[in-house]
Amino acid sequence: MADAITVTKVFDLKGLACPMPVVKVSKGIKEVQVGEVIEAHTTDPGALTDFPAWANTSGNKIVKTDQDGDVIKFYIERVV
Amino acid sequence: MDEKTRDDLLQLFRSKFNRAMRFYLESCTRCGTCTDACHVYASTGQTKYIAAYRHELIRRLYKRYFKARGHLWPSLGEARELTDATIEELYEAAYSCTGCRRCMVYCPFGIDTQMLMSIAKLLLIGKGAEPEILTLLADTSIEKGKSMELFKEGFLTGIKRLEAEVVKQWQTEAGEAAIPVDVEGADLLYVALAGAHSIIPAAAVFNAAGEKWTLSFFEAVNFGAFVGDPSKTKLILDRIVNEAKRLKVKEVCVCECGTAYRVMKYLSGSQPFKVTSITEAHARYLKEGRIRLDKTKFPGPITYHDPCQIARNAGVIDEARYIIGHLTDDFREMTTDARYNWCCGGGGGLVALGDETLDFRMKSSRVKVDQVKATGATILSTACENCHTQLSNLNDHYKMEVDVQFLSSMVARALVPA
Amino acid sequence: MQTVYYIILVPMVYLAFGVFIVGIIARIAKIWREPPNPTPLLIHPVKKPGWLWTLTDTFLFPTVRRHKPVLWVFLMAFHICLLLLLIGHLELLADFALFQVIPHEIFLGNGFVGLILAICLLYFLFRRFVSPVKDLSVPEDYYLLILLFLVVIFGSEMDWARSWYEYGEMTVEDYRSYLLSLLVFKPELPYSTTFSGHSFMLILHVFFANLFLMFFPFSQLMHAILSLPMNKLRRG
Ligand code: HEM
Ligand code: SF4
Ligand code: SF4
Repeated sequence: MADAITVTKVFDLKGLACPMPVVKVSKGIKEVQVGEVIEAHTTDPGALTDFPAWANTSGNKIVKTDQDGDVIKFYIERVV
Repeated sequence: MDEKTRDDLLQLFRSKFNRAMRFYLESCTRCGTCTDACHVYASTGQTKYIAAYRHELIRRLYKRYFKARGHLWPSLGEARELTDATIEELYEAAYSCTGCRRCMVYCPFGIDTQMLMSIAKLLLIGKGAEPEILTLLADTSIEKGKSMELFKEGFLTGIKRLEAEVVKQWQTEAGEAAIPVDVEGADLLYVALAGAHSIIPAAAVFNAAGEKWTLSFFEAVNFGAFVGDPSKTKLILDRIVNEAKRLKVKEVCVCECGTAYRVMKYLSGSQPFKVTSITEAHARYLKEGRIRLDKTKFPGPITYHDPCQIARNAGVIDEARYIIGHLTDDFREMTTDARYNWCCGGGGGLVALGDETLDFRMKSSRVKVDQVKATGATILSTACENCHTQLSNLNDHYKMEVDVQFLSSMVARALVPA
Repeated sequence: MQTVYYIILVPMVYLAFGVFIVGIIARIAKIWREPPNPTPLLIHPVKKPGWLWTLTDTFLFPTVRRHKPVLWVFLMAFHICLLLLLIGHLELLADFALFQVIPHEIFLGNGFVGLILAICLLYFLFRRFVSPVKDLSVPEDYYLLILLFLVVIFGSEMDWARSWYEYGEMTVEDYRSYLLSLLVFKPELPYSTTFSGHSFMLILHVFFANLFLMFFPFSQLMHAILSLPMNKLRRG
């Protein structure tokens, strides 16, 4: 695959309700280097709006969003 | 701390002045009547958690910088300089206070500790020493309001998945949207939290009651209020006010979130719509016979935790009892007087801070656990997200062995099909 | 020495009342110029009628009674005696038919008002030496109580001497002529007030009272005035 994403760290946030997914991700992103990508799994439907809004405010970038049944997967690149 | 920073902070301090704030700053007699009021003090016995001790920290700065005494004779009132050390003390005082206002019930003058702590919170923001996660969450909410178009699609996708759930569980009539969104001219705008548990049961009840409702794009919770930032609180609130005006609804109904309800009810100003909590809406549907509940659904004694921001601080008390009267014949009150209910220990942003505050939250809420246990109830119901999380944590930590439930979810589960 | 007596009994009294009255007005004006709080500050459930509960809270301290019953007994005794004391002092100016509905000697209370006040003040003071109230208190609280105790004790001594030991050198008539002369701005000191054996009591009583009055507007004692509007905010 040409656009394969190298994921440095995976966060399992399934079952957590708002705002915990955003809280965990914003802490988690600090654990990787700028340019690296984390993967977050959540079941919280609010995350579909929360994550992009959070990315905009924090200056990070959502590279891809996948839906797999009930689970939503975000690939987020650390930019700052 | 350099001169400039201090001046800026004092400017922020001054911005909080109003008549009530001045009353509170001028007149504590340090009589100690409020000593036993605070659950944190009652649970830990540490002086620094007494309400009067907390706000005396603020008062010391007030005496130093805003009264002539602070220059003439500072030691008279133990006036204090604003330094980095003071800032740390303020953090400790403000972020161990849940803003429950139980102490205000005890004080012979009715001094509002939550309000005085809001000065501490604002100074912390000015110094950049507030819990940054709360600011981040507030900014995220504001961002959503600013660029709604960008996030609309994600939102609608999320809702579609929830609709399937509602239909599966409650067989909503075909042809109708189980979760209506963006309906102009609806009667009621429901402001939920961004979680299935806050939307699905609510949708079931609205549909059963035949309410002409529409779901808000925004989540109710106001992180600006938790972190004590007045301008962010307002921005987050305005998103919903504007939406309500755009859709011309008659009523804005706030989900089970204490802070959101109090902020919405009291800070939205005079508007063409009224503000209710979902508890009030459910009680109304029951009263008008629009929904009926099955009393056998929840066997065993039920108790109810009054969320401070909804009950003592916003007056929704009897409505919850009315609903529970339709759910059980064995209701157990925690207190004879709702004003004296203990705080769950999770308010003021503490729950939103997650694991960071878990240890403190457990230690500071022992009295709540005793109160719940004394009822002998097996179901502990409540009507606030924060309280629910905190009570669940307490349940695990202290092995209370109760079933922590949202009142609205209980209503949804006990619905008798029409 | 007589000059010092004069200064305390005349110019300082004027100064004290001036500071007291102007101070209170200025402080209140400053507070009232602030905008009201944008949101209601009620505690729910709100009982009707709100104004009645506001008055109850302000004058009967029901929350103290519930949570600190011993303190409440002393507080009630103290504040009631304070009121009687005020009446007592007014009667040192002139006869008021209104106050004589229950006939009594002047000074009101036959010495017991002062005694009760002194005991209450000692209680207030000593409880501030015990934790946790000790940890909450600041020097101002102790100074105020000590100051007031001094006012009360020297005032009471004059009363006790007259009422209990038939001391007759300083009489109610002497006080009246002194106080009335102050009131009409033609200050005059009767011989007995400055030259009798108990003059020092009067001087000290007035001296400490002057200090107390001048401190009042700038201290936590403003609770006396602000209690009503604060309780109104809570009760609605
Ligand atoms: C002319 C009016 C009043 C005066 C001169 C007055 C004076 C005082 C004084 C001297 C104290 C002792 C202060 C201390 O302990 O440091 C006190 C205590 C107190 N007063 Fe008043 N007061 C007045 C009215 C009121 C009112 C209207 C309230 C209504 C709530 C009130 C409530 C209290 C309370 C709760 C204390 C605490 C006592 C303590 O532990 O120190 N007072 N007052
Ligand atoms: S009860 Fe009120 S006046 Fe007394 S110490 Fe507490 S806050 Fe101050
Ligand atoms: S508001 Fe609640 S948490 Fe804060 S000091 Fe008062 S009783 Fe304690």
